[in-house]
Amino acid sequence: MNKFLDIVANNRNIFLGLILIFLIFVFSFIVPNFFELYNISNMTQYGIEIGLLAFAEALIIISGGGGIDLSVGSLLSLSAMVIGVLVGRHNFNIWAAVIFGLGTGALGGAFNGFLVNLIKIPPLLVTLSTMYIYQSLALLVSVEPQFGNPMPISKFPNNYLFIGQSTILGVPFQALIIFIPIFFILNYYLKYTTFGRNLYAVGNNEKAARFSGLSVEKTRFITYLIGGILVGIAAVIMTSRISSARPDLGENYNLQAITTAVLGGVSIFGGEGNMVGVLFSIGIIVVLYNGLQLAGVNAIWQMGALGLVLIGSALGHNMLFQRAERLQSMTQLSVSKDLK
Amino acid sequence: MKKTMLAELFKRREFTVTGIIIILAILFGSLSSNFLSISNITNIFIQISSIGIAAIGMTMIIVTGGIDVSAGSILGIVAVITAKAALTGLPTPLILILGITTGALLGSINGSLVSFMGIPPIIATLGTMSFFRAMVFQLLGGRWISSFPDSFRRISTGNFLNIPLPICFMFFLAIIFTYYLEYRPTGRYIYAIGNSVEAARVSGIPTKRVLLLVYIFAGMMFGISGVIVAARTGIVQTNTGAGFELAVIAATVLGGTNILGGEGSAIGSILGALLLAIITNGMILVNLPALTEGLIIGIIIIISVFTDIMKLRRRRYQYE
Amino acid sequence: MNSFFKAEKIVKKFGGVRAIKGVNFELKRGEVHALVGENGAGKSTLIKIISGVIQPNSGKLFLDSKEIKLLNPKNAHEMGIATVYQDPLIYKSLSVIENIFLGNEIKTKSGTIDWKKQEVKTKELLVSLGIKPNFINRPISSLSIGLQQLALIAKALNYLAKILIFDEPTAILTEIEAERLFKVIRKLKKQKVSILYISHRLEEIFEIADRVTVFKDGKNEGTFNVKDINRDKIVELMAGKALTENIERTMKINRAKNKLPIIEVKNISSCYYKNISFSLYPGEILGFSGLIGSGRTEVMQTLFGLIKQDEGEIFFNGNKFKVNDPSIAMEHGIVYLPADRSSEGLFSKLSVKFNISIPLLKKLKKKFLQVDREAEENLALKYIKLLKIKAPSTSTILSNLSGGNQQKVLFAKWLSTKPKVLILDKPTKGVDVEVKVEIHREIVKLAEEGVTIILVSSELPEIIKLSDRIIVMHEGTITGRFDTKETINSKNLLSAATGTRMIHAKIN
Repeated sequence: MNKFLDIVANNRNIFLGLILIFLIFVFSFIVPNFFELYNISNMTQYGIEIGLLAFAEALIIISGGGGIDLSVGSLLSLSAMVIGVLVGRHNFNIWAAVIFGLGTGALGGAFNGFLVNLIKIPPLLVTLSTMYIYQSLALLVSVEPQFGNPMPISKFPNNYLFIGQSTILGVPFQALIIFIPIFFILNYYLKYTTFGRNLYAVGNNEKAARFSGLSVEKTRFITYLIGGILVGIAAVIMTSRISSARPDLGENYNLQAITTAVLGGVSIFGGEGNMVGVLFSIGIIVVLYNGLQLAGVNAIWQMGALGLVLIGSALGHNMLFQRAERLQSMTQLSVSKDLK
Repeated sequence: MKKTMLAELFKRREFTVTGIIIILAILFGSLSSNFLSISNITNIFIQISSIGIAAIGMTMIIVTGGIDVSAGSILGIVAVITAKAALTGLPTPLILILGITTGALLGSINGSLVSFMGIPPIIATLGTMSFFRAMVFQLLGGRWISSFPDSFRRISTGNFLNIPLPICFMFFLAIIFTYYLEYRPTGRYIYAIGNSVEAARVSGIPTKRVLLLVYIFAGMMFGISGVIVAARTGIVQTNTGAGFELAVIAATVLGGTNILGGEGSAIGSILGALLLAIITNGMILVNLPALTEGLIIGIIIIISVFTDIMKLRRRRYQYE
Repeated sequence: MNSFFKAEKIVKKFGGVRAIKGVNFELKRGEVHALVGENGAGKSTLIKIISGVIQPNSGKLFLDSKEIKLLNPKNAHEMGIATVYQDPLIYKSLSVIENIFLGNEIKTKSGTIDWKKQEVKTKELLVSLGIKPNFINRPISSLSIGLQQLALIAKALNYLAKILIFDEPTAILTEIEAERLFKVIRKLKKQKVSILYISHRLEEIFEIADRVTVFKDGKNEGTFNVKDINRDKIVELMAGKALTENIERTMKINRAKNKLPIIEVKNISSCYYKNISFSLYPGEILGFSGLIGSGRTEVMQTLFGLIKQDEGEIFFNGNKFKVNDPSIAMEHGIVYLPADRSSEGLFSKLSVKFNISIPLLKKLKKKFLQVDREAEENLALKYIKLLKIKAPSTSTILSNLSGGNQQKVLFAKWLSTKPKVLILDKPTKGVDVEVKVEIHREIVKLAEEGVTIILVSSELPEIIKLSDRIIVMHEGTITGRFDTKETINSKNLLSAATGTRMIHAKIN
């Protein structure tokens, strides 16, 4: 068993990849239509939106200091509504509206980053609050001035729909042109650039990072900002795909984003994790979701299953972690290494 | 009553909260004649009973440095189970016991994950939040439950010495838990853990057991809230209790519980619930749209935590 | 044999490695018994076993000639064995009374806490230690660290401790607090409490201990009466060879005096120090001596931009120098090696080369912010060779290296930036004797290559050996400046470091 854990620990990504393949295998047997092009296309489209949020979450959690973002879903709703309302009720040019949507995402992320890093409020509390603030704003923005009720927007220009609905050689547009480049960029940045180094340093040991001349606050603020932008991009893709905007679009995405990141090897304590693992994890979650859906399981149980996956991956991570700790525990009288 | 220094510190915070409550009450009272009417005040208190009781449990969790976002889902499950029990004609006292026990059980799941499995509270409870919510759906079979017998509904509508029962429960539990947290060793262990788990462990305090207990207590409180909500609203649906945890956390934080752990009181959290209710109730009466509720509560939490953090920064040595 | 506590043939293994190899140890009633040894020698492990935190793999423990088993700390407390740790383990926002009693409460018949009795007992305990108990209801965080420690001693006494274990107690105390602690220890001795005292500071041992036991490599190298042994012998036993190192320093003070100062500090003050003024000349090694808590670290951190001074000015090469941030200091070539390498200096979970290259990231850039991996690898290899760092590869995770090698990585990290001014804060703390010598050699070499060095150290031999000039600080102010060979000696340094009275007797 121990040897097994060692192998898994060192090759977590490969392990995740194998699970993904396994799941695809299983579901293609259990569920009819699983491997049909239409379904795969469907899954991919859904996966991209979740994926972008999971990337955002991963960056924020890796940056450490209790970093987490519970507001990604609500920010998604808000950004989507901003785009929708500008285009649907105020007849903005769609691309201008898109800029505003992206701006909303960036602003939302920046606000979180500001409260966490400049005002020094714990991220959990900040994003718990902004989760409700952004949700509330989304509802307010969606209010139809005439009737005074929140109303969805379904008036989107046709030249906008290609982002979310067109395909290139069978592959969804947003996957090829947006998601995959973003994945490569983020992965590159984490692995190969100074920014990525800063992130891992700050996430591993905040004090040492500061003592090494790194700006902890700036690095973390940037992750929240980038996260917000990613959310904005997801909002654009989503509104284009479903050709509408509703204030409850992001309702369930918070849990999904966090679960995906944690499953992908991002340690909740910071300093650990990479984009490849998150990518595989996105695949696993999407396949799981889709499989359950096709098998006729109610949407609520998809969330329920996700909850179990989150707990399961946290447990798994603990086992690996504890093993590593035990191997290293030597004679020093270690007093209070709080992992808060 | 022999007070610890902690209680004395809290007297200050509770004093502040009470002050704000009074100010707001006067403010809203002058803006709307309805506000200070007996029916409205009673309304407010009934509203806060479920949040206040749950806040007592949440306080203990937050004092240990944790959090529980599955409160609403626990409430939901207990609401469903007790509702079904009510329909089968189970006598009310037994229903209450059933609710408390179920809550305790669900809380123990959270507690085990956090205490024995070492999973961070946010992750564990985020997971159980969804899983429990799916259970609510499963137990309801996709439908809803209503038409409760009067005996059940009397949990909410009944009075004891002319005070509505839910409010009586709240005060009763507040007194019990204040006693427990201030005078019983295990109660003080909760604060010890919140201050320094390492120190507690080395002193021989059974930290894992105490932590588990805290989540069980909280589960019980959430369960009682579930019974009250079911009885009060007369209906239990799949989304019963969804979002409840935000109000509970807000009440707890407003009441002076330090989100970083180590400080907090039951009475403070109930005052926090009262403050929260006055704000939301007042908003309705001055015709602020219901949609802004999340916005305002979120902002309130941020401001409240901000002032707490500012206070913490000023602590310096006084004694050498 | 009037030994009160005995440990016989204790063996403790951690995953196949024997941390303690068949150790015998005994403690007499009412004695102060010092335990010395290098890091990793097994002292901490023995202490943990005696405190019940861990169990030995084999061997027996005896209290008052009766065999005992200590399964957990509570067991140990019940037997009257209590430990006061280096990092005060306190409940910050709880009162002093609660800090003393939680886990060991005085209860009423109904099981609730009897606050009144606890208050009375707390007063008793503190008075017996010679302390005025006027703060017992306040949160313990409002006490100074020295008082917190004394409160923890009161807590230990409350366990009716017959054996009190101190782990590096003076590491965090000011001079006055240390003196107060010693007074308390002497009182405890009179009460027949046995005291086991771990310390790295040999001077203290001669001050307060009756006997000393030296640990090396998991074995008890011998127990001696303090009267019958001297410092050199102890160090020899600890290290296994005589530490007779005489470093020749060719270019010393004279050359420094002729040049203009590279850094001038004029009258800076903050809440940690007052009216600090000094000049730093290029190429010299300026030593900062003093006891822990004297404010030296804070002055250095001010130079590095981690702390802001409230008053006063700093000049760099004659120009006013506003250093608000470490990156500004680094731009000017000023770097700082922190005292606590694991929490402040290094990233234990990351690789050696990551740690070495992190301050240089800006310079190791190719286009698009990419890190030049080849350059990074070469850099790491260069310093591994230069400083003789024992690491399997550049990708080795830092925590897998020994303390001494980790310290070398810390050096490598800052040396790679080719600093003009190198501020070293306790650079050989927790490091084996051989590595210590290597680091000393490196420091001298750097000075000869023209790097200006500020050396903050609490170890007199080290600072005397290496420094051209020495400034002594005491409780936040400068109390001594010594810049000639005649005046640099331990007596002067100690007297300045301790203010007016000397508590450390003599260095043999």
